[in-house]
Amino acid sequence: MTHAPTKPITLIMSVVVTCLVAAAGLAATYAVTADRIAEQDRLAQEKSLKAAMPDAASFEQVTDEDALAAAEASAGDVKVNGIFTAFDESGDEMGWGLRVGSRGYGGYAQLVIGLDTSGKVTGVSVLSHAETPGLGTKVMDSVEFLAQFSELPEAFTVADVKAVDSISGATKSSRAVKNGVTAAGAVYADVLSKGGE
Amino acid sequence: MREWIRVFKDGLSIENPLTVLMIGLCATLAVSTQLQGSFFMGIAVIFVLVMSNVLISMFRKFIPDEVRIPIFIVIIAAFVTIVDLFMKAFFPPIYAILGIWIPLIVVNCIILGRAEAFAYTNTVWLSIADGFGMGLGYTILIVVLATFRELFGTGKLMFLGATLISLPSGYKPPGILMLFPGAFILFGLLQALSRKYNEHVTRKAR
Repeated sequence: MTHAPTKPITLIMSVVVTCLVAAAGLAATYAVTADRIAEQDRLAQEKSLKAAMPDAASFEQVTDEDALAAAEASAGDVKVNGIFTAFDESGDEMGWGLRVGSRGYGGYAQLVIGLDTSGKVTGVSVLSHAETPGLGTKVMDSVEFLAQFSELPEAFTVADVKAVDSISGATKSSRAVKNGVTAAGAVYADVLSKGGE
Repeated sequence: MREWIRVFKDGLSIENPLTVLMIGLCATLAVSTQLQGSFFMGIAVIFVLVMSNVLISMFRKFIPDEVRIPIFIVIIAAFVTIVDLFMKAFFPPIYAILGIWIPLIVVNCIILGRAEAFAYTNTVWLSIADGFGMGLGYTILIVVLATFRELFGTGKLMFLGATLISLPSGYKPPGILMLFPGAFILFGLLQALSRKYNEHVTRKAR
């Protein structure tokens, strides 16, 4: 370059100003979108809960910290991101929806697993995932695959879940769902069935 | 205006970012497994590319040479984050498809490459042409690639939940098309085709 070197202060100021302007722009965008994003998240969660427990009329998030800590402990590697008590139309408790994060091929998949009061799976729905498009997505989008879990018996064991047919070519993604269901079963056995909801 | 059209066309043909400059390939091969994802990825790239080109060419006289790269990156990252937030807020179904790939636009070399090679030394007007041309060149290529991969790799072509084409059920999709080796082979073939086309374009220009 032929021109004289720029003064250090100009260098520093130009980067600082760029960063400030960019930060202001992002803050403005965030202010516009934050409410809508929170709303979309809530809607998506609601939809997943409904899909996992079609018979439930309403859900209420469990806030008891001891129960949540106990659930987290019995779930092992799977993260418990929320437990929701499900109520039927007459307001009676009819089960739980568990939101769990289970490790797949592309990071954590967020699943919602519905359990009735006897510990039977009422349904499994996928809230979000980052599996390989075309391979792992076959697992996450497959109604047939997810429906298999509703046929598990009450108080199902790890072996029961293992026996569920995986989708070929997507073993890790299939396992993510299976691990999530296994963890939900463990949470039911250790925490929910004991009334500590 | 003629100059504008020439710059725009260069992005589509003889300076196509994917087949000629061969930049931004990593994200391209990864995203091009689905038609709809690729299409919206293309749109997002066009937006970020045009906006960053405009801003960088506008302020090119004030951006000191020594710190231009950090400044480019901040500008590009800001636009990508804006796209990310807007998609999340207003187009959740599309965000569900693209999700993790959106932040990767920041490190897509096409955008930084054009900022450095074009916008930094050209007028705003021409930089817009470059942004649109390069962006569209990218979008067309990735959509063609994804159409082939999705159709022959999964046996059907989907767009926003609707099935566009589906192959007869006797067709057994080869899994390799969905994986990187298949993407590379297909991309090589596409590149050969576009070379042929570009030869034709340059011959006509002479």
